[in-house]
Amino acid sequence: MNPILATLLQGFFIILIAPFASGLVRFCKARLQGRKGASPFLPYYTFATLFKKQMVISAATSWVFRVVPFVVFSTSIALAFILPLLFVGGKLASMSDFLVVAGILMIGSIFLVLGGLDPGSAFGGMGSSREMTIAALVEPTIIMVFAAMSFVGGTFAIDGMIGQQLVFSHPYLLLSIFAFLLVTLAENARYPVDNPATHLELTMVHEAMILEYSGAYLAMLEYASAIKLTVFAILLSNFIFPATVGVAASLGIGSALVAGIVAIFIGIIKVVIAMGLLALLESVVVKMRFYRMQEYMSIAFFTAMFGMLIAMFSYVIEVAIEYHTLFAALAVFFVILLFGRARSQVMLRYYAFSSLSIAGIAFGLSFILGEEEKKHLWLFAAVTILIKSIIIPIVVRYAQRKHKEFISSPSFLRPASSYFVAVVILGATFFVMKQTPIIGVVEFDTLLFASIALVGLGLATMIVHRNIFSQILGLLIIENGVTVFTLVTVKSLPLLIELGVFIIIVASAFILSILGSRIREFHGSSDTEDLRNLIE
Amino acid sequence: MSPILTIIIIFIATAFVIFLKKEKHIRQSSLLLALTAGASVFAMSLPVLFQTTAAWSDSVWLMDNFSALMATLVAFVYMSAAIVSFRYIGHEYEENILTLSDLKLYFGLFHIFALCMMITVMANNALLLWMTLEGTTLSSTFLVGLYRKKTSAEAAWKYIIICSTGISLGLLGILLLGYGSSLAGISGSDIFTLTSLAENAHLLSPDIARWAFVFIFVGFGAKLGLVPMHIWLADAHSNAPSPISGLFSGILLNIALYGIIRFRFITDLTLGSNEWTGQLFLFFGFISIIVPAFMMLVQSNYKRMLAYSSVEHMGIITFALALSPIGALAAVIHMIGHTLTKSMLFFGAGEILINYKTTQTEKIKGLMKKAPFTATLFLFGILSIIALPPSVLFVSEYTMFTSAFVLHPFLSLLIFVALSVIAYAMLRSTIGMFFSEGEDVTSLGKREKWNLTHWVMIAQLILVVGLTFFFSSADGLKFIDLISKDIIYISK
Repeated sequence: MNPILATLLQGFFIILIAPFASGLVRFCKARLQGRKGASPFLPYYTFATLFKKQMVISAATSWVFRVVPFVVFSTSIALAFILPLLFVGGKLASMSDFLVVAGILMIGSIFLVLGGLDPGSAFGGMGSSREMTIAALVEPTIIMVFAAMSFVGGTFAIDGMIGQQLVFSHPYLLLSIFAFLLVTLAENARYPVDNPATHLELTMVHEAMILEYSGAYLAMLEYASAIKLTVFAILLSNFIFPATVGVAASLGIGSALVAGIVAIFIGIIKVVIAMGLLALLESVVVKMRFYRMQEYMSIAFFTAMFGMLIAMFSYVIEVAIEYHTLFAALAVFFVILLFGRARSQVMLRYYAFSSLSIAGIAFGLSFILGEEEKKHLWLFAAVTILIKSIIIPIVVRYAQRKHKEFISSPSFLRPASSYFVAVVILGATFFVMKQTPIIGVVEFDTLLFASIALVGLGLATMIVHRNIFSQILGLLIIENGVTVFTLVTVKSLPLLIELGVFIIIVASAFILSILGSRIREFHGSSDTEDLRNLIE
Repeated sequence: MSPILTIIIIFIATAFVIFLKKEKHIRQSSLLLALTAGASVFAMSLPVLFQTTAAWSDSVWLMDNFSALMATLVAFVYMSAAIVSFRYIGHEYEENILTLSDLKLYFGLFHIFALCMMITVMANNALLLWMTLEGTTLSSTFLVGLYRKKTSAEAAWKYIIICSTGISLGLLGILLLGYGSSLAGISGSDIFTLTSLAENAHLLSPDIARWAFVFIFVGFGAKLGLVPMHIWLADAHSNAPSPISGLFSGILLNIALYGIIRFRFITDLTLGSNEWTGQLFLFFGFISIIVPAFMMLVQSNYKRMLAYSSVEHMGIITFALALSPIGALAAVIHMIGHTLTKSMLFFGAGEILINYKTTQTEKIKGLMKKAPFTATLFLFGILSIIALPPSVLFVSEYTMFTSAFVLHPFLSLLIFVALSVIAYAMLRSTIGMFFSEGEDVTSLGKREKWNLTHWVMIAQLILVVGLTFFFSSADGLKFIDLISKDIIYISK
């Protein structure tokens, strides 16, 4: 397929489908909320109507106000033509250098901000200042995400990054993808950053900036944001599934029609699925307070940075980092987070995530080992998720249902020192294991390290925290460590034994929770310092 | 004769407990079915023990001499505890200390607890052994915390936390051993079978075997009550109902030791000698004898005193196991003797508790006048446990010292001093309980009648004395020798 034809086809497709995408999100959200919802094709009529309406422009505005819609619209269209959405290797592919793309996004944002400031209204100024804060926090994350991918792919152009199958062969790039997802939500003014359907000015960010626009200008601005949403959605899905992108220059003229139709078809599917998932996310997540935006951005930035750091680390030590290593690191990471917290709900949640990572380890291992192990490991992963991430938290909460107040008695250490102790334990484990001769014997060194670290951290949780509940969690973490150890050494146990071990874990969690609840009734608190009646 | 039969009987017993409504029926059915289950275990283990049947094993079950001995002991204590429970729990129900649901909980868990213990000693699969050992901890937690008191809840908490943590570490060791054997080329599910591990032990790597044994020793040692992991023992054994304390001290500690011994056998086969493991046993056994000696001097609760005595005796057995091959003989004799004597003492302590309603030693006065049968039997029990002849513990300790004074003279001297201290402490408390002048005898209520517990106690006392003579004879020594061959690896 001719590159020029491919680029034109892609650009016009995006422009045509953007209003449908925007309407589809609204439609899915309505259906999820139990309403009938307007038809997904309504935005076409909306834009058509808006173009016909008369514009009202404040007299206090300058030429900037009139220029803004054109600039914003043209940046969106530029993105639609440059980025590899339907085809890789289009005519403008060499322009898809990620710094250029970031710059284009920035021009759009800046002019939108100026358009909000120009009329001099209070709400416009408020929206602009909020948007500037968000943009300043999002910008480093965008650069970091693309930098990690370009480091791994060896090319600056986004076109080149998608051309290679990067993500699945380098699992740490999943962290970058996660950061990119958060960035997408922030850039496109979606939950949890901004509410695109709000009519309360105090909750607006993007809407506040376009409050003063009407008629054709408003249509252009809304169209531009719809195009940007479509572009980002398709780009994200291309990063995750690069095989679905067509190659522009490979096919001859004869099959151009077929290639074109296939590309359009795939594009439509991607848009529909992405918008459906976005609607689901918006129905589940709550919009954050503006002051919590910096937490959200920090999570995005640190995730992107970790992706970059692991990429560089993997390059330096010349070892490919596999899935199971990543998940093992995550499992230990969540336990370290758990170590510094005191509230039972939070600790249970981190424990559930840690168990989820362990299921991920099993999943990752199943790709490496043989066929007969695969079924076993998948079953193990499924049962782990079911029992440890779902049933055990339910069991523990059920047994504590009589005590609704938050159990948070202090530990011997404050949170900062707790994290320090956790890192010290990790370091000690590493040092000790380097000395013992077992390291050379066992394959999967990192998993062995993770399992011993989990056992050590579990013991520390039991001792350091003064809470009865933490002792239960410490025991569960030790048992998690033993489970990872099983994965390292024996790979899979006979099914009955697995089942028996799981039943024992659930039973001990249940018994411990009931006992803990009874102790709290008798002693009035869950502090283990009170359990000192029987001394000598 | 398969263990499956025992499993079925015990499930039926538990079903009866759940579904029967009247308290008397529950107690009677539990007693009957417990005796039946015990008899079925006897039918399996006594033939192997007395050499009428050869030792057998398949992929799940193992019945060699040592297993047969342990199974016999478990069944015996189970049956005695069932008889004592019949009287003891019935009495507590009448006094309204326990409600009907407490009674049902007690008997239901009692059967499951005994079942887990029986399967542990007969299991050939290391993971099955681990699972049922953990099962004993889980099923007995609510038995320890049966009484709704602050101290019961605290004791049950310490018990389950420390024992579960220990047993999880033990699982780490077992998995390491399985991994070592899979590296050595053993296939499939055989990597965890005890018999195949023993056969192929020479193929394992010594490093892996050492690490695995350390984990198993520390982990199962917590359940055994070795110092410094013994802090749960005094609390749990003193706050549980007396029949359960008898089960705990009498046989559960032995079962934890059974696990350690089985894996020690495999490790020794790999390492080629029992020197290295012997050092671990020596050290922990030694401190497990010294520390309780100090603790017993300050005890004010007679059940806690008996619990510390259990720690000390487990320490003696562990120490004896380090002194092979004569030490192994001493260890086996001591295991049998301690089971019989300690369970008898706890049953007697239960009777004292019924009569006086307190566990504080200084509040009990004039026991000999008020409850002469209990007092006499208890006194004989105390004299047996401090190893006065003709107690079988005397035979075992004498045997141990003959070897210990030669190999480790300084340690043996210290142990001898510790044992004397313990004897002094126990006699001081009990003589204070029995012979002191209390309030006027007539105000203490009716004189005691001879009841079921006394039957059990005197049966055990007769066995203790009878076994002394048996084990001192040549036949007895041969009997013990056959068992100790399964325990200790004698290097060529």
